[in-house]
This record gives sequence, structure tokens and C-alpha cells, in this order.
Amino acid sequence: MKFNLKSMAYASVLALALGVSATQADETCMSPYMAKIVGQEDFVYVWTLGEEGLGDEQDKLVTISVNPSAPDYGTVIETLSVGGRNEAHHSGLTDDRHYLWAGGLDSNKIFIFDVHSDPAKPTLFKTIDDFVAKSGGVVGPHTFYALAGRIMITGLSNNADHGGRTALVEYTNTGDYIATHWMPTDDNLQGAIKSGQFADGYGYDLRAMPRRNAMFTSSFTGWNNYMMDFGTMLQDPEAMKRFGNTAVVWDLHTRKPKKVFDMPGAPLEIRCAWKPENNYCFTTTALTSQIWLMYEDEEGEWQAQAVGDIGDPSKIPLPVDISITADDNGLWVQTFMDGKARYFDVSDPFAPKQTYEKVIGSQLNMISQSWDGKRAYFTSSLLDNWDKKGEADEQFFKSYTWNGEELNLEFEIDFKAEKLGSAHQMRFGAYGLYGMERPWEAAAAAVNKSDKSSDLAAQ
Amino acid sequence: MLRLPISVLVSTLLLVSTEIVIDGFVTITHAQQAKQAAIRLASGDHKEGYESPQYQTDSLSLEVRSGVEANLFAIVNTAQFGLPKKAEGRFLEPSEPAIKLGRKLFFDRRLSRNKTMSCAMCHIPEQGFTNNELQRPIGFEGRAIKRNAPTILNVVYYQRLFADARENRLEQQVWGPLLASNEMNNPSVGQVIDTLAQLPEYPKLFEDAFGEMPNMLNVGQALAQYQQALLAGNSRFDQWRYGRQQDVLNAEEKEGFALFAGKAQCSSCHIVGDEYALFTDQALHDTGVGYQVSMRPETTTISVQLAPGVVGQLDKSVVDSVGEDKPNDVGRYEVTLDPADRWKYRTASLRNIALTAPYMHNGTFASLESVVRFYNAGGVPHDGQSALIRPLGLSADEQAALVAFMRTLTGSNVGELVADAFAAPIGDTSSTSR
Repeated sequence: MKFNLKSMAYASVLALALGVSATQADETCMSPYMAKIVGQEDFVYVWTLGEEGLGDEQDKLVTISVNPSAPDYGTVIETLSVGGRNEAHHSGLTDDRHYLWAGGLDSNKIFIFDVHSDPAKPTLFKTIDDFVAKSGGVVGPHTFYALAGRIMITGLSNNADHGGRTALVEYTNTGDYIATHWMPTDDNLQGAIKSGQFADGYGYDLRAMPRRNAMFTSSFTGWNNYMMDFGTMLQDPEAMKRFGNTAVVWDLHTRKPKKVFDMPGAPLEIRCAWKPENNYCFTTTALTSQIWLMYEDEEGEWQAQAVGDIGDPSKIPLPVDISITADDNGLWVQTFMDGKARYFDVSDPFAPKQTYEKVIGSQLNMISQSWDGKRAYFTSSLLDNWDKKGEADEQFFKSYTWNGEELNLEFEIDFKAEKLGSAHQMRFGAYGLYGMERPWEAAAAAVNKSDKSSDLAAQ
Repeated sequence: MLRLPISVLVSTLLLVSTEIVIDGFVTITHAQQAKQAAIRLASGDHKEGYESPQYQTDSLSLEVRSGVEANLFAIVNTAQFGLPKKAEGRFLEPSEPAIKLGRKLFFDRRLSRNKTMSCAMCHIPEQGFTNNELQRPIGFEGRAIKRNAPTILNVVYYQRLFADARENRLEQQVWGPLLASNEMNNPSVGQVIDTLAQLPEYPKLFEDAFGEMPNMLNVGQALAQYQQALLAGNSRFDQWRYGRQQDVLNAEEKEGFALFAGKAQCSSCHIVGDEYALFTDQALHDTGVGYQVSMRPETTTISVQLAPGVVGQLDKSVVDSVGEDKPNDVGRYEVTLDPADRWKYRTASLRNIALTAPYMHNGTFASLESVVRFYNAGGVPHDGQSALIRPLGLSADEQAALVAFMRTLTGSNVGELVADAFAAPIGDTSSTSR
């Protein structure tokens, strides 16, 4: 093993168990600070891009019933339009899971939804319109990551040149601005070590590993590129130079960058292992189609290395979202261009092996797997102007079961036919998180109780 | 305090401000000098050599992007070597409050429909007041703009505006981007006026500058007042040619100018006069660049830079699957509908050309070297191509000399103008709603 097995004690996480799960699987890609649930989720909230000429044309939060025991299973039960096309992208829950923060990469608005008062019917609690002004010029709020009582937001761009230099922005759970933490650049590494050739100041995703006091960020591209027509951008040599080639490990507590890694080709999503002895995180590079590992070596130093290819990198399959399994042994990798979900055995994190793949649609971006790994949900949209054109621009939510060998489709929702828009980020909800009974179970229980009472009365 | 000799023709005006006194010398504070010297006249996101595996970043933090306000009123009233007198341009009578107002408007992102685009998002100060990072900028919701963003340095000297010369005054031109659906996407003039009237800081600024609330005319005038103050002459070339300072240019640069005005015939269109040089004939020409894009078959394989030193080859069909149809561009014809105007574009000034890559109306050339290679090869021969475009027979050394000459055309005060722009507040939404 190349990473440190003598880890510190596994930091305790807020755990709120729902139902019973033999696997004790975690919500595999969420913050360890977050209340987590095991068992059956009731809802998937889909942060959805409005499409010009489709339905009400606005971004919206779409709530889908996903509990097979629910009477409305497999249907859209609620939509909440927020006004405008903000380039809806990612969303994240607060540590107490009371609020869902969802950002617009274009308008820079942040919509804070109340998902705890009635998990089946989220409401808009607050809209942050002044993210750019408050943060000192950060554009493109991307990842919303729960820390203790706080939300850490990664930016993608800035209001000076709409390029890729950006920052992390910290807010309270209730939406008050706290601080801006700029990404390290050559002229101001902020004490970080530039380990290779690059320190570009770009940002994208963020994950924390509290047990190692570590936080990790990756790097994508600025507003100019993520808002541009994908095909046009691929043919613009100047634009193609404006992608991130770095990942950064930070001191979680002080919010100071410690080391900048070279990671050529736009490293995107970061997923950290859960087991206390597994001090490593995966990411994948969108343009160079590689799996990278950031790991702590035997000296306690963080290192990074490419550990495998995804598909045929020469064909640019464009790996996008990834998801680690709760036992750290598997990694789902979605490739946008060929619409494939790929499963990698990462039991040896230094030697991932692809063991399964399935075409989910003509294009594919996000995955969210259930706490126990038995269910996986997929959505189609990458970015409004990057999605495929014409008939290939399928927009869907698809629910699969995973038996360890095969993905089986349970139901799907055509977001175009439903006049909803382009389906993007998914987050889970459940009644039990908030001490609520599922209405249909409560109703059934009431009927049973009534029946028993009747029976007793009859006796 | 430092006293620095200035190499400009000082006007008869004695200009006094809190920051700068012009009486044959420019007097600036150490702090100002330090800020101006620290400004890199290029993107802070350095990408030179990105094609090579040896590429290294040299990035600047955005926090250093702070500047010092310049006396733009003084600049617009001061003659500079190489630039014509004001009468040659389409100047409004300079007004200090109007310049300040125009400067604020220029950097205000709230002037677009969804509050994300200001003029400065495409005319980025440190990138030559253009955009070095894209061939063609994008606008509202990422919509395509089919032409390269031109620099606005010295823009007041153009007799016609836009690459197809469809507009004739700056104060009118500004409404083009403000209302274009693929740029700032404002639905109407009234919407812009109402927005300004409702922002608390603007009514007083308009009252101070124009004695009235914002309207269609004074919004245009204010933006024009700022842009006409962005005068950047007194380049090393100007000091050599018009200031008679023989040692300012080296031998290669002088040879480059000789070629420019001689064998290469560049000055046929990029005119250099005896008293000043705008480097444009203000006319429109078909150089072959536009024709090539519209008429020549497209390549079947696209080379894509994936990372430093890493290039991929994508089948065109794959690129097309994620791309909108490229908007066609027939140049001046789109204004006149005259077939004789197909693929004609206005001759761009070459002033500050080293700062304004990529080049041509569509940003197709990344470097000055590639521009010179194109003209040396004679363009793209076809019916309608300007007779002035023909093979030049320039050697490699001669082409290098031409490029060296063009690099002498950067105005001596560009740093001051960029520092001033950095000092301008960027307008962003400052409210939160529940």
C-alpha cells in the first residue's frame, strides 16, 4: 500500500439512520458532515435547466417520487420554477439537510429551497442575488458542500474576464456570506507548494476529509467556455487553452491551500473514500479521460498520480460525473459523449479495472446511487450549450437497480415530453429525515388500526 | 514623487488634477507608479506555449487587479505622437463628468438583461480592450457572436464602426450590443433606461453629466465619452517616426517598417501619414479570410488541444453532434445586399496590435506571424478578392521583421489606461431577495 494506514481516528459524522440496511452504505458522495440516511429514499430532487421554447422555459426544481411503495412511484410530483434560465447546474444540502442550495452558473443566483418542512413539496426559502458582489467577483457558483453549519461553494469564473481564475466562497447555512478563499496562483500561492508546472487558479469541485484535516479542489474552465456552444469551443484553439490542469489539497480548518498538483485535462468531480484507513480521493479528467488518485503516502504527504484510462482517451469520451461506492471498492464513471455508465473495480485504488458498462442514453452526465448501492439514478444534461444537438439531445431521468452485475431499468421520465427542461443534478430526500411518517404508510397503519378496532368491536 | 519625462506633444492646455500635472512632465506618486508598473498587458491567465508539454503557468491572482484612476479628461485633451488631431476623429466635446459616467457604465454588468454582461466582459482592459481568450466572444446565455471583439483603443478615429461598417457614430453604436439578442439582450431601449433610473447611484451621475435623467441619447454619449478618451499613441514607432528619436527602434524594426511601406505593401491599406498614422484606410476589402470560411470545404478532422502538449483528433461529425451550425458571415454584403460587398471587412487599425490577438474579423489567426504568412501567400485567390492581396515573396527574415515592426505600435500609455480601468468599479447586483 502506498498510502498511510496509520490514520487518525475516523471523524464521527452525523448519522441519521433510516430504515435498516445490512450494508450500512453511506450516501456515497455526500459530505461527511451531513446527516446521512440508509435505506429507501423517498424523493429525488432534480435541478433542471429551463429550455427556450419548452414549457415555461425556466429553471426548476423537479421532485420525483422514487419509493416503490409510494402510490405515485415513478412520477413527477412537484415542480418549482425559479424564474429565468440561470444555467442550473449543481446543488447541495446543508449539513442538517434542511435546505437545498442550487446554483445558476450564468446568473450567479443561488436558490435555497426548504426541503424539510414538507419533503414532498419543496419551497423557495431564499434567493441570493448578490453572490458576485459579496464574494468580491466570483462567478459561477458550482459545488455546494456542507461543512459544519456552513456551505462551501466553489466558483468557476470571475467577473473581471469571465476566465477560469476563481475562488471558494463560504456561507452560513442560512445564507449569510462569510469569506472568500481564492485559489492559489503563481504570484500568490498562499503558502502552497506548486508541485509541478501548473498553478492556474481554476476551480470546480470540492470534497473534505475531516479525519485528515484535508480539503480537495479540482479545476474546470471559466464562464466563456462553459457557456459557449461546445462544438464551437472545440474548434477555437484559444478557448481550448482555458481549461484547468490542477487539483489542490487544502488545510480544511484554516482554509489555506497546501499543495497544487498537476492534473492535465480538466479534473472534475472528486470522490473521497469512506473507510478510515483509505486516505485517498478519486477524480477524473474530462478532456484527457484519466482516473487520478490523490492519496496520502507513508510520510503523510499528499500525492497525486494517474491510475487508469477511461474508455479510449483518443476518442475523448468525456468522463463527467463519478460516484464511489460506500465500501470504497467501486467507482461509477459516466462518459458524456457515448452515453455510457462504466463501473470500475477500485479495490486496488492504484489499478482501477473497468468491469461493466451500459449505454444509458445518447448522452449522459449525472449519477446518484442509493445509500445501499442497489439503486442508481441517471440524468442527461451536462451544460445547456454543451448538450448534444437535434434528436440526440435526449433529456431524461432514469431509475435503475444494480445487482452487482447488471443495471436494470425500473422507470424513466422524458423531461422533454413532460415539458420540464434538461435534467441535471440529483439529490435525495426522505420523510424519515425529519421525523415524519410516510403518508401512505401512516394511512395504511391507520386503516389497519381501524380494521383491528373494528374486528375487536365485532368480537 | 517621481518626475518622468513624457514623450508626447503637449497640448496648449495646462491640465491639472490631483494625480497628474502636465507641464512637460508627468508627475505621479510612487504608489501609482508601482501599480501601473505591476500591470501585465495581457491576460493574467498566461497561456503562452500551451501547445508544448513544457508549458508552465504564470498566473496572476485577481486580487492584484487593482489600479489607479487616470485623468482621462486630460488624456483626451492631450495630443500624442502618431495620433491625429481631434478634428480627424468623431469626438464629442470632452466632459469630465460624462467620461466618469461612461466609464462606470462600461463596467456595469447590470446593463445586460440577466445582469452578467458589461461592455468590459468582451473588451477586457488588460487584453488590449478586446478578448485574447476567444476567437469570437460569446454573449447572453452563451450565444455565439460571429466576429472577433475589436479593441476600443483609439476607436474614435474610425469613420465607420463594426467590421462591416454598419454604424457611423460611437454614441449610436453602443446600442447595438446593448440590444442584440446574442450580446447583452436587453429587450428595449426603455428597459435599459428604466434600469439605470432605478439604480440608486445613476440618476445623480446623469444629472451631473447632462443635467437630466438617463435617456437614449445621453447613455450613448456617456459611453462614447469614455471610449473616445481611450487614446493610445506615442508608441515606440511614433517616437521614432514623428518624434525623430532615431534610437527608439532597432534595425530589424526599422527594416520591418521599410517592408511594411514597401515590398509588403501593407501601408496601402494600413496607411501611415506624414503627420500621423491611423494604420487604416477606413475602407472595406475582401482579403479572402471571410470567403474561405464561407466557401471552402470544411476539414473532416478537427485537432483539439486537450491539455498542455496533448492534442486529440476528433471526427468533424463528433464535433457537429455537440455544435450549433456555424453562423455564416458575408461581411459588408449583409448591410448593403450588394454582391460586390461579399466578404468585405473594414481595415482594422494596427495600433496596439501586439495586445489584441487573435486576429482578423473572425479571430482566425492566433499570432501576428500567422497573419503575415497568410498575406505573404496571397490570401485565398478568388473572384472578388482585393487586387492588393497577392503573393509577396517575403523571406522568413522579412516576415519576422514585419512582425517586429508591428510590435512597436503599442501605445506608451496603455498601462495607464488599463490601470484606470482596474480602478473602475464593476457593477454587480447587490441585493438579496427572500
